[in-house]
Amino acid sequence: MQKEKKETRQVSDILDMSLLKWRIEADGLELLVQGFKEKKILGRKCHKCGMVYVPGPSYCRKCFIDIQDVVEVSKKGKIACYTVNLADVRGNPVDEISVAVQVKLDGSDSWMMGQLEIDDWKKVHVGMPAELILREETTGALADMVCFRPI
Amino acid sequence: MRNVAIISVGYNDRFVAKRPDVNIPEMIQPAVANALKKTKMKHSDIGVVVEGNMPTFEGINYPHLWFSDHIGAAGKPVLRISTGGTTGMSVFHGGYYCVASGMFDVAMVIGWEKHDEGDAQVGLMGIVLPEAFSLFQFGPDMSGGRGGGMGLLGGGGSTGGASFQALSYLAKAKGTPEHIDKMAAQARSNAAKNPYAHLQHPNCTAADIAKTPMVSYPLRFGHTCPTSCGACVMILVAEEKVKKFADTDRVAWVKAVATASSDATTGNLIDGQINDPAEQAICEKIAAPKAYQLAGIQNPKKEIQMCEVYDGFAHQELMWPEKLHLVDNSCKAIDEGRLAIDGEMPVNPSGGVVSTNAIGASAMVRVAEASLQVMGMAEGGHQVPRRVKNALAHGWGGLFQFVTITIVGDEPVKR
Ligand SMILES: [Zn+2]
Repeated sequence: MQKEKKETRQVSDILDMSLLKWRIEADGLELLVQGFKEKKILGRKCHKCGMVYVPGPSYCRKCFIDIQDVVEVSKKGKIACYTVNLADVRGNPVDEISVAVQVKLDGSDSWMMGQLEIDDWKKVHVGMPAELILREETTGALADMVCFRPI
Repeated sequence: MRNVAIISVGYNDRFVAKRPDVNIPEMIQPAVANALKKTKMKHSDIGVVVEGNMPTFEGINYPHLWFSDHIGAAGKPVLRISTGGTTGMSVFHGGYYCVASGMFDVAMVIGWEKHDEGDAQVGLMGIVLPEAFSLFQFGPDMSGGRGGGMGLLGGGGSTGGASFQALSYLAKAKGTPEHIDKMAAQARSNAAKNPYAHLQHPNCTAADIAKTPMVSYPLRFGHTCPTSCGACVMILVAEEKVKKFADTDRVAWVKAVATASSDATTGNLIDGQINDPAEQAICEKIAAPKAYQLAGIQNPKKEIQMCEVYDGFAHQELMWPEKLHLVDNSCKAIDEGRLAIDGEMPVNPSGGVVSTNAIGASAMVRVAEASLQVMGMAEGGHQVPRRVKNALAHGWGGLFQFVTITIVGDEPVKR
């Protein structure tokens, strides 16, 4: 390792991200959360290639064309991949272990991310059937999504 | 299109965690000098300089404003390319295009990173957040609530995203987390034979790796890359100038470059599963076939003698050789020792990215290491024992949505 010499000295600075105002596409999310009001999972289907996206973007990402067809997909599906959060962003062990999953809902071609409620994370496996749980009283907000649970 | 040869590779002394003794220009300059020293040229012979690193990792968005003179670029064109993890190889491709097109006879390419002056996790936030925003379109509330918050992206920052890929890969390859331990152990042992590698662990075993703490299942600390400081410089010359400038009769010829990209939501819009980070059709079905076609390679498993893949996480060292059509099942291959330096398909004799990661340099180091193998100049015991006629270098970037491939060989392609 190099010894610190006198040739450099440190100048400190910070980039404040709170000053930045990033915008994201909200159209597909709006369709999804409006569907929650009736306990439906809504996405969009491409009329050309048949891809079903949940949430559905306003254009097909494969065909690069506008898409409008709304489709309902199942709340049930299979765990496509997952990870278990055992450390925080700095690598320190966390007190509460959580399981993040990506679930392919039946009828959808995209995977949906969420948290899996399970007693023992060692039981999770790729291909495990799981169901999206919505709040009893839905209001049309993302918070209506409670979690995924194994079926 | 002209044939292009790599005539020289220059590094700093060794990639390390901290370089408090130098600033960014001072860190890059010796690598430039080392590359030039191994040629018969002066810096005035260089036609164009292409450079890149990760923006925001050191918090400086236009670092080349600061160091053009330190790299011998005064009075010459300077191009900056930045594509995420693929940066180093995209920079290399940029230099290749400059020479192959006939616009310049000599290009110098520079990939670098000085991680000790910034914060990689903060840098990643500025890079990954736009991608995370893109993921909002495909998933629930990641910003808070019971949806899981940013924790949905997994633990340990970038490790989290990679862990989804690791589990999806293992499920397909019928592998286990122990295969990742084995792969990481081979990488760190190989690194001990590379005098430029950062994390060197002679005779590292799978049991040593398995002792390290779990970050985001199935990935452990021992499976993840360090943050390194250093630069990689390469000099590319048009075929007709090789004799004039090369100080060796064993140069590495660029036989193919190929790249492909996809979307930010883990990048698999080509076919199959949209979000599967372990599918990588852009590599398997687009970039790799294109590269083999350009290089005139029909049977990659036989005609390629080694590869250097971009393995920020050890499971990727298993996954990429499969996606590059070099190995059928890497889990089986590592069990049988076939990926070792003296195996039938040596993967990352240098120790790979999992042992050394100065990000803006890392994808270029893959090309540099593949070239040194072809030139027979890999130092310290990591030279592949059998003659390397063709070697493949690979890079990935973004949220697994960019892929770059370079094939180098001991003879130019007849065009
Ligand atoms: Zn379509």
